[in-house]
Amino acid sequence: MKKFVRIMSVVLCVVLCAAVFAACGNKKSYTANNTEYFIGATGPLTGGAASYGISVQKGATLAVEEINKAGGLNGVNFKFEMRDDKAEAAEAGTGYDTLYEAGMQISLGSVTSGACKSFGAKAKEDNVFFMTPSASEQAVIEIGDNAFRVCFGDPDQGTLAAQQIKDDGFTNVGVIYDSSDSYSTGVYEAFKQKANEIGLTFTEQKFDAENKVDFSTQAGALKDCDIVFMPFYYTEAALFIKASAAKGSTAVFFGCDGFDGIAGQFTATDKPANTIKYITPFDVNSTDAKVSAFVTAFKAKYGEEPDQFAADGYDAVMAIYQAMKTAGVSDVTISASDLCNKAKATITSSSFSYTGATGSMKWDASGACTKSAQIVELD
Amino acid sequence: MSTLIDGLSLGSIYALIALGYTMVYGIAKMLNFAHGDIIMVGTYAILTTMALCGFPAVAIVMAVIVCTILGIVVEKVAYKPLRGASPLAVLITAIGVSYLLQSIAQLIYGAKPQPVTLINFGHVTFGSTTLNISTLVTLGVAAVIMAGLTVFIKKTKTGRAMLAVSEDRGAAELMGIPVNKVITLTFGIGSALAAAASVFYLLQIPATSPTVGSLPGIKAFTAAVIGGIGSIPGAMIGGILLGVIEKVCMSIPALNPYTTAIEFSLLIVILLVKPTGLLGKKRREKV
Amino acid sequence: MASRKNIKFKYYVSYLIVAVALILFTVLQLTGGLKRSTANLLAEIGYSVILAVSLNLVVGFLGELSLGHAGFMCIGAYLGTLFMKVFSGFIPSQLVCLIISMILGGLCAAFFGFIVGLPALRLKGDYLAIVTLAFGEIVRNLFKNLPWFGGAMGYTSKGYGSTLFIIAFVAILVMLFAVQNLVRSKHGRAITAIRDNEIAARATGINVTYYKLIVFVIAAFFAGVAGVIYANYTTPILYSFFSYNYSIEILVMVVLGSMGSITGSILAASFLTCVNFYLKTHLSGDMAALKYLVYALILMIVVIFGNAPALRSFREKYNPKVLFAKFFKKKPNPAAERNDAGSWDRIPTKIKMDELLTVDVKSNESVQDPDKGEK
Repeated sequence: MKKFVRIMSVVLCVVLCAAVFAACGNKKSYTANNTEYFIGATGPLTGGAASYGISVQKGATLAVEEINKAGGLNGVNFKFEMRDDKAEAAEAGTGYDTLYEAGMQISLGSVTSGACKSFGAKAKEDNVFFMTPSASEQAVIEIGDNAFRVCFGDPDQGTLAAQQIKDDGFTNVGVIYDSSDSYSTGVYEAFKQKANEIGLTFTEQKFDAENKVDFSTQAGALKDCDIVFMPFYYTEAALFIKASAAKGSTAVFFGCDGFDGIAGQFTATDKPANTIKYITPFDVNSTDAKVSAFVTAFKAKYGEEPDQFAADGYDAVMAIYQAMKTAGVSDVTISASDLCNKAKATITSSSFSYTGATGSMKWDASGACTKSAQIVELD
Repeated sequence: MSTLIDGLSLGSIYALIALGYTMVYGIAKMLNFAHGDIIMVGTYAILTTMALCGFPAVAIVMAVIVCTILGIVVEKVAYKPLRGASPLAVLITAIGVSYLLQSIAQLIYGAKPQPVTLINFGHVTFGSTTLNISTLVTLGVAAVIMAGLTVFIKKTKTGRAMLAVSEDRGAAELMGIPVNKVITLTFGIGSALAAAASVFYLLQIPATSPTVGSLPGIKAFTAAVIGGIGSIPGAMIGGILLGVIEKVCMSIPALNPYTTAIEFSLLIVILLVKPTGLLGKKRREKV
Repeated sequence: MASRKNIKFKYYVSYLIVAVALILFTVLQLTGGLKRSTANLLAEIGYSVILAVSLNLVVGFLGELSLGHAGFMCIGAYLGTLFMKVFSGFIPSQLVCLIISMILGGLCAAFFGFIVGLPALRLKGDYLAIVTLAFGEIVRNLFKNLPWFGGAMGYTSKGYGSTLFIIAFVAILVMLFAVQNLVRSKHGRAITAIRDNEIAARATGINVTYYKLIVFVIAAFFAGVAGVIYANYTTPILYSFFSYNYSIEILVMVVLGSMGSITGSILAASFLTCVNFYLKTHLSGDMAALKYLVYALILMIVVIFGNAPALRSFREKYNPKVLFAKFFKKKPNPAAERNDAGSWDRIPTKIKMDELLTVDVKSNESVQDPDKGEK
C-alpha cells in the first residue's frame, strides 16, 4: 500500500512537471510559426443556440475554401477555426485566449452578442481585429476601434420596424420578444422608443431562453392583434406563429433578420394563412449574381440552403480577405496587433467597400456597417 | 376559460408522463430519470417516420413500438444488473441513461430544433373563446388512456400481479408471480405511455430537439411526486394540477416569470406537509 | 505500526497534490511563464475541485443524493458578485475584497443550505434528490427575475484576472483542512454510520438530523465559495449555467473519483475539467455531444461495475489494488484491501453480512503479512 502511494506520488509529480512544460509558452510571438493566415472565432456549436454557430461556421468555412482554391492571399492559404462557446460569455473569453495562443491573427469575434462582448473585451486588450458576422448589439462595436460587424445593428431594425408599422397604418399592434437574448431585447428597446416617439401603442409579451417552446399563453394574449412584431430567431418564431394560428389569430407576423430560414420551418399542411414578412439583408431566392453564386456553392457543399447566418459568416471572411488584400498584407507570421492596425486603416477608408451575399457594405470608424435592408414577404 | 383548457391539456401530457414515473417507482422502487428522454426518442421516431412515409397513424404506431422496445432494452441493460443495489446507484445510472439518449440523439439528428408536423387539426370558436382542436383531442384521448390503464390494473391478472409486486416484492415472488417479467412489462407500459405523451406534445408544440424531453420530464417527475409517487391516481391528479397551475401562472403577467419557481415551491411545500405526496402511502421502515 | 503510518501518509496526499500544484503554477505565473489559457484552466479546476469535494461530502459520506449543488453555487456567485461590488467602493485591495466576498458568499449559501436542509432532511433518498433539484431550479429562476441581478441577460461582474487560480487553490487547501478533519473526527464516523444504516445509527444515539444538517450546511458553504470564484472567473454570470445539468456534471466527478474518496474527487474533478477543456477545442458542431456520451458511459459503467450484486465476485477478484499487489509483491495480498478499508479516506460501502464474514476471515489470515513485508 505504501509502495502504491509512493508510486502514485511519483506519477503525479511527473504529470505535474509535464503539465508545467505544457503550460509554459512564449507570450510574445504566438504567430511566429504560422504557415497560413489564421482566422479565429467562437460561436455556439452546442446548446440551444447551436444552429446559429453551425451556420456561421459553414459559411465561413466555405469562404475560406473558396479563397484557398483561388490561390489564397499571394499564395498563402487561410484557415478558419471556430471554438464552441455555447453562446456563453465565459466560454467565449476562454475560447479567445486559446485561439490567441494558437496563433490567431484576425477574427470573426463571436456569433452571439453576449459572447461577443466578452470576446471583444479581450480582443481589445491584445488589439485583435474582429468582424462579427451576427453580434448585432450596439455594445459590441462600442468595445473599441478593433470591433466591426457585418450585420445590422439592433436599434436600426427596431426603429425601421416601428416606422414601417406606423406607415402601414396598423393600430392594434402586438410585440413579443426574448428577454434573455440581447439581440431581441436590443431591437425591442429601439422599437419601443421609436414607437413612443411616433405615438404607436402596442401590447407586449415576452419569453426567455428556457420557456421558448410553449407559446400558447403569449399567442393567446396577442391573438386579436392585427400585426405582431417579433424580433427574435426563426425557430422560436415558427413555433409562435403556429401557436397563434392554432388560436385563430389572423395577424400579420413581422420579424427581423433573425427570421431568415423560417420558410423551412413550415410544411404544406401547417403553413398558416397569415402574412409573414421580415427585414433582411439576405434573400436566398434573390437573382443577384453574388447571392446566387453563394447559394449554389453552399448547396453543393452542404446539401442545404444557407440561412442568413451562413451568409453573414461567408461575408465576414470575404470582407476580411478583401481588406487584407487591399492593405497589401504579405507576411504570414504578421502579429495580430500589426494586422489589426492595417485592417482597421483599410476598412474604414472611404474608398473601401465590399459586395457579397448580404449586399454592398461600407464601414466607418464606429465599426457599424451600412447596407441596405429589404422587407421580404414569405409566400 | 381557454387558459383552463390549455392547462388541462398540458396537465394531461404531464399526467401521462408522470404515470410512467409512478408505475416504475411503484414496482421497481427506482426513479427512472431517463423517462423524459423516452419522450424525446418518441418525437424523433415520429419525425423520421413522417419523413419516410408521411402517414401520421404509422408514425404514432412506430413511436409506440420504438419507445416500448427502448424502455425494455434500457431496463435490461442498465437497471436490471443493479437490482438489489443501493437506490443511489440506480438513480445515478438512470441519469447516465438520460445523458446517453440525449447525446446519441444529438449525434444522429443534430442539436438544431426541427419542426415536426403530425396532424394539423386547426381550431374552433365558441363565442368569444377560440380552442385548439388538438388540445381537445389531447384531453379526450389522455382521459381514455388513463381510464384504460386503471381498468387494466384493477381488473386483469397481469395488472393485479403488478399491484402485488408493488405491494411486497418478496411475497409476490413467493406467490409465484414472475417478478422480473412484471418489472419489464411495467417499463414497457411506462414507455408506451411516454410515446403517447410525445404524440400529444407534438400536437401542442410542433418541434423537437435532443433536449425536448428534459423539461417535461422534470415537470412530470414533480407531478408524480406531488401526487404521491407510486400511486396511479396520484400521478393523474398531480399532472393535471401542475399543468393547470403552470398555465394559470403564465397567464398572470406578475407571476409569469416566476412560474417555474412557483411549481417547484409547490412541490417542496407538499412534500414537507405530506412527505409521501398527496395520495402516497406511508411506509414504515423496517430494520 | 505500518498501517498507522499508511493512514498518515494518505492523509497528506491530497494536501500534497494541491500544494505542489499551487506552488509550481504560482511560481510560473509570477515569472510570467504561464499561458493565459492555462491560468483559465487552473481556475476552472479550482472551482470544480471545491464543488466535487463538497458534493462528495453529501453523496459519498452522508449517502444522500443532492441534485441542487449548482443552486448553492448560484447563490454564492450572484451574492458574491454583489458583495464584490459593494466592498470595492471602500476596500482598495481587490484581493481582500475577494476573500471577504468568498466568505460572505459562502455563508449566504450555507444559510440557504440550512433553510432548505432543515425541513428537507426529513425526507430521504429519492424525495430528497427531487427537493434539492427543485431548490436549485427555484434559486436560478429567482436570480433570473429579481430586478437587481441583471435579469435574463446575466449579471455583469468585474473579473479577477489570471491570478484567480492561486486564490482558488488556497481555498481548496482550506477546504481540505476543514473536510478532512471533519471526516476523520468522531463526527465523521457518525456521518458515515448514518450512511451505512440510518436506523442503527439512530439506535446508537447519533443525532441524525443534526449531522445531516451539518453536512448539508458545510457542503453548501463550499459550493457558495466555488460560486464566488466562478463569478470572478467569468462575466457576466448567467442563470442558465446553474441548471441541474451542472449539478449532474459535478456528480459525475464525484462518481468517477469514487464516492467517499476525497483524493479521488480532486483527481477526477481535475481530470474531467482538463478533458472538457481539451474537448472544447477539438470537438465542434454536433460532435460535441460526444462529451456527454462519454460522461454518460462513465456514469453508467462506473456505477454498474461498482454496485451490481451479480458482479461482486468479479469485483473482488479484479480489484485494482489486489491486481496491483499481485503485480508488485508477486503474490496476492488481500490485506492491502483490508488496510484500505480501515483507513478513513475510503470507507467501504454498505457491508452485508456475508461480506463482513469473508473480509474478516481473510484479514485474520494475513494481517501479519504487511508488517513482515516492511521489516
